[in-house]
This record gives sequence, C-alpha cells and structure tokens, in this order.
Amino acid sequence: MKKKKSTVKLLSAKDRFFTYLILAWALIVALVPLVWLLLSSFKVDPLARPGFMLPESIYLQGYISTFRDLHVMRYFKNSLFVSVVSVVISVIMISMSAYVIARMEFFGRKLVTAALYSTMFLPATALTFPVYNLINKLHLYNTHGGLILVYACSGLAVSFFVIKNYYDNIPRELEEAAQIDGCNYFQTWFHVVFPIARPGIMTAGVLAFLNNWNEYYWSSLIVIQKEKLTVPALLATFSTAFRTNYNGLFSAMVVIILPPIVLYCVFSKFFIEALSGGAVKG
Amino acid sequence: MQKMKRSIFIFVFLLPTIVAFGMFYLYPILTVFYTSFCQWDYTNIANPTLWSSAELLNNYKYIFSTYPYFWEAVRNSVTWAFLGVFFQIPVATLMALGFSRKMKGIKLIRNIYIVPCMISSAAVGMIFLQIYNPTYGFINPLIKIFNSSFNDSILLLEGPAFWAMTGAYIFFTGTTTLLILGNIMAIPEEIREAALLDGSSGFSQDWHIVIPMIKGTLRTVSVLAATSGFLLYNEVYFLTKGAAGTYSISYIIRELAVNSPRAQYGRANTVAVIQVITGLIIIAAVNGIYGISFADLRRKLAKKGEKA
Repeated sequence: MKKKKSTVKLLSAKDRFFTYLILAWALIVALVPLVWLLLSSFKVDPLARPGFMLPESIYLQGYISTFRDLHVMRYFKNSLFVSVVSVVISVIMISMSAYVIARMEFFGRKLVTAALYSTMFLPATALTFPVYNLINKLHLYNTHGGLILVYACSGLAVSFFVIKNYYDNIPRELEEAAQIDGCNYFQTWFHVVFPIARPGIMTAGVLAFLNNWNEYYWSSLIVIQKEKLTVPALLATFSTAFRTNYNGLFSAMVVIILPPIVLYCVFSKFFIEALSGGAVKG
Repeated sequence: MQKMKRSIFIFVFLLPTIVAFGMFYLYPILTVFYTSFCQWDYTNIANPTLWSSAELLNNYKYIFSTYPYFWEAVRNSVTWAFLGVFFQIPVATLMALGFSRKMKGIKLIRNIYIVPCMISSAAVGMIFLQIYNPTYGFINPLIKIFNSSFNDSILLLEGPAFWAMTGAYIFFTGTTTLLILGNIMAIPEEIREAALLDGSSGFSQDWHIVIPMIKGTLRTVSVLAATSGFLLYNEVYFLTKGAAGTYSISYIIRELAVNSPRAQYGRANTVAVIQVITGLIIIAAVNGIYGISFADLRRKLAKKGEKA
C-alpha cells in the first residue's frame, strides 16, 4: 500500500498533467457519443433541439414502441440463440483438437497447427462468395443454422491459441495418474483435463460470444428475412424503418447497445481479464 | 491395440476442427484463387469457365484498368491500414501508459474507456451516422463555430467524408490498449525501481524502459490494427455505402459478388485474391518496420549507455 503512494509522488508535475490529459481524453472518447445518443433518445423531436441541447422533458414513447412495435426482444433472442449455439460448438470442437495438439505427437501435427495459424491471415471478406455459395448449396441460406455454421467455423485461431495455451500450463502428471487409474484417453480428457482447463475455455468462449453477438458482415449476408435478423443486422434496417421518427430511432439504438454494456458492467472484471489475456486485473 | 486406440482418439478429436477448417477456409480460398481466372458472372452462375490461356488474366486486367472503384478502394484500405499502425497504436500505447499509473479512480476510467469496444461496430457506425447528420447531429454545430455558412452533410463531401469515416472508429482502441496494458503490468517491479534509482521516472521511464520491453506486444497489436483497418467494411456500409470516395476493398468484393444485380463472381474473387496478397504484404511490412525501428532504438540506447 505504501509503495503505491510513493509512485504517485514520484511523478513530476508535467507527467501528472499528461496523465490527467490522457484520462480526460479516455472519458471524452468513450462517453460523448453515448451520452449524446442517450440525450437524444429523450427528446420529443431531436430536430427541434439538435446537438447537446437538453431535452425539454423526458419523453419515453420511443422506448415503449421499441419493445411494443419493433419487437426488439425477438432480435435479442435470435442473436442469443445464434451466438450461444455457435460458441458452444466451436469451443467444444477447439478444446478437443487443441488437447490432441498440445499433448500428443502424431504425423501432421505441425501441419494442422500451421493451418489453424494461417486462418489469422485469411481475411473473411475475401472468402465472401465461396462461403455464400456453400451456404446456398447446403440449403442453409436465410436460416439461423447457416449463420451458426459460419460462426462455429470462423475465428478458429483465437480460440485455439487461448485454449492450447491453457493446456500447456497444466502439469502432465495429473493425466498420467488418471491413466494409471484406468481412464482411457477420452475419460482422461473429459474428467481430468477439461474441468481444469475451464477458465481458459471460458475465456475463449466469452471472446467468441462477444464477436458473434456483434458480428454484422456474415449476418447481413446470410439471413435476409426480417423476423430472423440478428441485432446488428436489424440496425441496418433502421434508416428506412424510422425515416422521420428520430425519437424512435435513438431510443431503439439505446436499447440495442444496452445488453453488451450492462453485461460488461456486471462482469467487467471477467471481461477485462479475458480481453487482456489474463494479465490485467479487473 | 493401445496404439490403434490412440490413433482413433487423435483422429476423432481432430476431425471436427479439420472439417471446419476445410469448409470455411481451405475450400473457399482454393475456389477464390481458381475462379479469379474464370469467366463467371450472373449469366453462368452454375458453371464458371476458365479463361483461355491468352485471356487468363482478363479479370485482373478488368479490375486494374476498367473497374472504376478499384484504385480508390485500394488507396482507402491501405491508408486505413497505415493509420492503424501509425495512429491507433501510438494512441493505444499512450492510453495504456496513462492507465498503468497508480492513481485513484484510474480503474474506473479504464473500464469506461473499453465500453465502446463492447458494442458492435455496426452500432457504432449507426451512432456516428446520427452524429454527422447535418440537421440534428453535433458535428455540424461544431464546424459552424469556425465556418458559419457550412450547411452540408460531411459524409457527402469528397475528402471530408473519408476522414469522418475514419473518425468514426479510429479512437476506439480499448481492447488494444488493454492488451498493451497487460504487457506493461507484467514488467517486473525491480526493473522500474532500478530505473527510478537512475533518475528515470514517468514518461521518460516509459520511453526508455517500458516501450522497448513491450515491443513484442506492440508488433502483434500493430499487425492486428493494420489488418482490421485494411479490411474495413461495416463503417463504409453504415456511413456512406461507398459514396464520396469512401469505397474499401472489402466493400467492392461484396458489391461485385452479392449486392449488384449483375453479380460478377469471378471478378469479385479476383479482388479477393488481391486482398489476400496485399494483406500478407502489409503484415510483412509491419513486421519489417518493427525490426528496423527497434534495432535503431536499441542502437541509440547502447550509444547513450556508452556515453554515460
């Protein structure tokens, strides 16, 4: 505790000034757009009171109609369903393959690792048409199944490295003990390694969930029917849907960005550790 | 028997990942390369035909010399990649250094700074579309302070539109800052204390001690920033749909392949091949820059050491 205080005192006035400047900038960047959005959502007519003018009174009609007329909950449900299912599939799949690669020697091990690594350098947008075509051929166009398939297969590299890294830090003795006790390979993985690696797998899962929840590119490409859209794709319909109803537009946008922000506020500790690779304490 | 069991286990555990890789990466990338040399558009959707050997590069010629938006898209995407390395990373590093100070309330501000990175870039694009709106946004009133006759939409002016779009994403470096901060926090306290004894503190300590120690992370996040800038799509779609000189490479691929009623799959895949290759060149270039600049820095530090 004492150490902390001494570090502050050692900062010169100039350094302290710069640090305050940085902190002020952080608040401006993060809060100005969001506060403006929130402010605008309370205005009866944002046109009449543009910019940062305060609303005359707090008008909540837009919020009510976001739930009643836009049925925003339906789109949250779509997003939740697609994100959760695809994350579960991809995380299970990757924790299996990462285990084999982390622990066993076999022919082609390096090739598989290199292949997974290469996906980091393959821009998904370059694969637009073949993937779109494939989804069509599998008769998954305009279905949640198609989107789940794409999400489960994309982002392999990040999950792989997070999970493999975690396996690498688990001592092998535990597995050897399990095998002496008569566990076969699958049982060893399922009963011993998988439970221990849960924090690493959770981290990969949280990152993948955040990605899939926010994903727009594939979502807008594969699903077109309004009722099936995920939340980010729904946003693209707003410009025409709310043509002149700006209060409705702003309210709907606030509602849409709320779940990830609330989730982050509640679990910020967890998110921060996941996003920084465990190095920053939340 | 045991060996057989082991092989089966390995095979079964690898299979799903390999299938996923094959389906989503290997098959598409091979198709993209092959069909970039094919005559393939909305007229022959089911059967792409390879151009004859004399015309093999037809699609490439078309994209390079006839397609009107290609060079604009390359210029924009490369500029965004460049800004990722030379603007976003310095800003993210500065923020991380600020957050590494021990002060009251710093954790809270750090957590707030990350909030915009939790929202989808589609939503951020949509928010900035409103901010830039000339009738109710808040950018026009700001411009009017300096130029009272300004009544245009900034997103429709060639030139400003590009920078407005850049401004809609470039300052949100929360996750990058967090990765850098993670590395800064991992520097052993002894090293900082030793630097303090030498009279190096605050930002001077950061510059001479911290930055050289986190260069590995800086290189990684630079590659990520360059790549994500290079691949920009959502911002283009939500803010301008390519108007006023703001096309990106990702945007024209999708335009050619899917959005246009006269879709041109072969040519879209040609642009995709160019995107993959340019992306690899950019990654190599970023690695190169770090090799050179940090070697320089080390040399300077060594010289300083000799003098002392």
